[in-house]
Amino acid sequence: MTYLEKQSNPLDPVHFRGNLQADYLYTSGAAGDKFFKHIMENDSFLASECEECGTVFCPPRLYCEDCFVEIPDEKWKEVPAKGTVRLFTTAMLNTFGEPLEVPKIIGLIDIEGTDSSMLGILKTKDQKQDLTGITVEAVFRPTQEREGTLKDILYFNESG
Amino acid sequence: MRNVSVIGGGMSLFRRRLKETGKELSFLASKMAMEEAGVQRSDIDMVVMGSAPDAFDGIHMKGENLLDGAGGKDKPYVRVFNGGGTGVFAPIAGWWHVASGVADMVMVVCEEKMGSCNPHPQTAFRNIWDPILDRPLNPNLVWLFAMEMNRYMTRYDIKKEDIARVAVKNKRNAVGHPCAQLPDANITVEDVLNSEMMAWPVNRLDISPPSDGASALIYCSEEKAKEFTDDPINVAGVGWNIDSSMWTNRDLYFPDYVANAAKMAYKMAGINDPRKEIDFAEPYDPFTYKELHHLEGLLLCDKGEAPILTREGVTERDGDLPVCPSGGLLGVGNPIAATMGQKVCELYWQLAGKAGKRQIPGDPQVGVGQAWGDIMQMGTVLVMRRG
Repeated sequence: MTYLEKQSNPLDPVHFRGNLQADYLYTSGAAGDKFFKHIMENDSFLASECEECGTVFCPPRLYCEDCFVEIPDEKWKEVPAKGTVRLFTTAMLNTFGEPLEVPKIIGLIDIEGTDSSMLGILKTKDQKQDLTGITVEAVFRPTQEREGTLKDILYFNESG
Repeated sequence: MRNVSVIGGGMSLFRRRLKETGKELSFLASKMAMEEAGVQRSDIDMVVMGSAPDAFDGIHMKGENLLDGAGGKDKPYVRVFNGGGTGVFAPIAGWWHVASGVADMVMVVCEEKMGSCNPHPQTAFRNIWDPILDRPLNPNLVWLFAMEMNRYMTRYDIKKEDIARVAVKNKRNAVGHPCAQLPDANITVEDVLNSEMMAWPVNRLDISPPSDGASALIYCSEEKAKEFTDDPINVAGVGWNIDSSMWTNRDLYFPDYVANAAKMAYKMAGINDPRKEIDFAEPYDPFTYKELHHLEGLLLCDKGEAPILTREGVTERDGDLPVCPSGGLLGVGNPIAATMGQKVCELYWQLAGKAGKRQIPGDPQVGVGQAWGDIMQMGTVLVMRRG
């Protein structure tokens, strides 16, 4: 049997309003701690390299998920905050389905000198259909305004 | 079903708030278990993750988030959870992976990062209640357990001093644990009784702390275990059971669901007289009285007898029935699921003679671990035995 009666007014049944309190203090982790402290004072990134397979992680990781070994301090290195766009999309609506005044371009950027990609907001010189393969460089907040979070990277700007 | 052996265990530090992420904690515990077992990630066929509600870490679908730190990438991987019962249920799930023959070697990883939940994980516990019938009154777990503790004390005319002895024993036992959050070599019954009254009759030192931490355990078939040891430690029996969520209609003096789970595990293990056949126990001790309640539920003593055994020293590390030789949740900490470290890894370390300063004397052959969760509903039991 199909239930055909439609509940058109959600306030009709006896009800009360509630919410789930959810407030968090996330630690950025042993590896994240070093990474975010670094970008507070530098316009570059840190990366960590697995001693076994040579994979270079950026943002850096404490361990290699494949070889399952810890990455020692001496295998950390500084890399430029730039790279090449691998994937992208242009968002026209916000999370609530409302049109964005300025469409937002989001991409995955292969970070130079690493085997990793970072998610970032992209800014281009002109409107293009295909951003794949363009080179971009991170634009950071002014040093004194940085807080040690991913938002210290304002966006990745098309370079060259 | 095949016999399943334990070949390694690991634990991270347990602390109120650790810098490491949940993934990183999982990695540290997993790596330790793999080093103890002498295996690589490539040797492990499948991974089971145990972690309690997402609301603690603040990551929905946290099982997926944690998997690369648990060695689960590109492997059959599943997360199981049933609240506070998870610390023993996850190793039960790991056991059936090997017992059934679908995997030869399995790693079980348990993680909880309660420090993320701000200002206190109690805000997440507030949401486990029925939203219509319980939550409008803003209940919290301390109230609930205060009522249960009061019922237990009243039913058997138990003195609070005898319950406080559990905190003293476990925090002293935890002095020998390298991961312990609240060890205390000098704590006294008076310290417990004089600590802040939170909800009568629960004092602050009756309660285990919220913690960040991870633990890991490696299983393989008994046949494969012969490659690693001449003296295998096997899972002898498992049991789990849950009571109604209509807790208001139950008499809380005795945990029937724990007894049901214990009977299931003992039957599988061929244990007819648990009091004689079990050498030591790791019952779940998030509150002092819960250790006593659970000892009775595990059928290791008569109803109402656990406080007497505690007073007489039977449950001390060198007593006839050592209870929580690890230091338990009260001494080592309570990162919910990750308490697998005290409740199941500890069975392995004690039986294998690897418990260091915590080693119970004699030559223990059989141990039982138990966890408990939800709204006084869930009982999970695992029996481990030498050979």
